[in-house]
Amino acid sequence: MSNFRNAQEQAHPNKNSTLTLAIIVVQLLLVTIQVWLLYSGLNNALEHKSAIAIPALVASIILFLVCCSLLYFLPGRRAGKKYSRR
Amino acid sequence: MATDQEQMMPDWQRDFPYRQEQARLVSRREFSRMLCLISAAMVTGSAYVVAKAYWPRSGEPAGRYRICGKDELPVGGTRSFQLPGSSVPYILLHLEDGTFRAYEQKCTHLSCAVFYKAGTGKIECPCHNGWFDAATGEVIQGPPPRPLPALQVEEEGNDIFVIGPAAKTG
Repeated sequence: MSNFRNAQEQAHPNKNSTLTLAIIVVQLLLVTIQVWLLYSGLNNALEHKSAIAIPALVASIILFLVCCSLLYFLPGRRAGKKYSRR
Repeated sequence: MATDQEQMMPDWQRDFPYRQEQARLVSRREFSRMLCLISAAMVTGSAYVVAKAYWPRSGEPAGRYRICGKDELPVGGTRSFQLPGSSVPYILLHLEDGTFRAYEQKCTHLSCAVFYKAGTGKIECPCHNGWFDAATGEVIQGPPPRPLPALQVEEEGNDIFVIGPAAKTG
């Protein structure tokens, strides 16, 4: 078996931390876009232009799913220990 | 010992601890989870906007209502009114060019009452210095994000009528 992953973990011990931070920054960006979508949808709906509301909702749902999948792939507590156990 | 003290503490004190060592750190995973919850709240908000936008409007007056006679409203004058069955305040303006306009009297920024500034052709929101064009209701300056919702005004003889908002949108 290749020991590439093990070597990577030893060479960059902070990799998981960096990845976690990057994922959180992306999630923050996604939530910011959702706030903007909600603001635009609401403003247009109040102006009796309801055509923007449904595309805004669909985009918001997609961003929510992306946000949840990022949480799913967030490095867990045991990330990094898995390979050092060997 | 510290753990016993923590156990004795009421929940609100645990949420806002006085001592630094009693502060419980939020892990990045918990923070990420909270972001997902905020994201879900945004979806709920957007869904609510869609529901409100496409739900049939009920309770909005749709008829034609007499507000006052032409001679009751001098040039540059205003008259506040409400339509039957609605609590929304409206304002009827007699502009200097002789035309009549009716708008919602709530600023589109934070719902402060707006006033016509006679002789300027502008409607002012004194709360945050917002200004609207009295002829069209469009925003001229300030924080309001949208024009003032207008009612259609009809003149018939000496009387001034407005058409309810539901007739226009429905």
